[in-house]
Amino acid sequence: MKSKISILFLILFTSAVIYPQGFDVKAKGIQKFSFKDDKGRNQATFHSVTPFDEVDGLTTKVNGIVSFNVSDVKNTLQGEISFPTESLQTGITMRDRDMKAPKWLDAERYPTISFKIKKVTSIQNLASNKLKVDLLGDFTLHGVTKEIPVEATMTYLDESPETEAREPGDLLGVTANFNITLSQYNIQNMILGTRVSDNISIGANIVGTNKF
Amino acid sequence: MVINRKQKISLIIGLAVIITAVIIWLIDGTYVFTQTKVLIEKKDPLFGTTYKEWENKFIWGLDLTLVISAISIVSSSFFVYIFRNKRKSLDEIKN
Repeated sequence: MKSKISILFLILFTSAVIYPQGFDVKAKGIQKFSFKDDKGRNQATFHSVTPFDEVDGLTTKVNGIVSFNVSDVKNTLQGEISFPTESLQTGITMRDRDMKAPKWLDAERYPTISFKIKKVTSIQNLASNKLKVDLLGDFTLHGVTKEIPVEATMTYLDESPETEAREPGDLLGVTANFNITLSQYNIQNMILGTRVSDNISIGANIVGTNKF
Repeated sequence: MVINRKQKISLIIGLAVIITAVIIWLIDGTYVFTQTKVLIEKKDPLFGTTYKEWENKFIWGLDLTLVISAISIVSSSFFVYIFRNKRKSLDEIKN
């Protein structure tokens, strides 16, 4: 019996060592990152394509806080990222105004679009400081919250002269991609499906610092 | 209807403006809406990722093509009317 427990312990210990679920960097323990960026570098994009029109949009007002245990990201990752609905731009002023109007995103009534991390469903080490994670989280748009899967890549950079040129502290770079269906968020419009696709691709490219 | 030389020139100029507008629209990518800025991709040297930025660039859209075509049609029609053969109508009045 004792030998069986020892073997089980050995297997578990070996698994934890061989299959790390976090970063192998200088920093240890719980790290908290802020994505507040006054220079407009943190951004979220969206893309809509139909036979009649193609729309690309961007916001540079992405903000949020994310925290995790450096060596166990899979079980400790939590946080929320958001941006003001009003900050979205498509390059055409009239279209931006229509997009934020009550018949579309209704920016006045629903001022924030957000994503809250619920859990990490899978994690893969791409490098000692780079993880590919599949997340499940709550995406809130137009007053409706839905659980959606998100693919993300996280890159951890220890503080160095190169990173200090960008921001003080360790830096966490996150890129993410996911798709949403506008009609599931109570966004209904007669041009949906013709000039604006019901299926929208959303991407995020954000950099956070743990010195804030 | 018999059209005189001036009317012919007005019609040709009007048509030339419409054709030019359509050709520019085709060359610029056949976008539905005219744009004054576009998204370009840039590389982040620190993380090796790409991000996007707005760049000022004028792109001729179908909306502008239609507006210019409409103005051209109205202008040509106006000049065709102005340049109509007035002598014939005077002869008619004398008779």
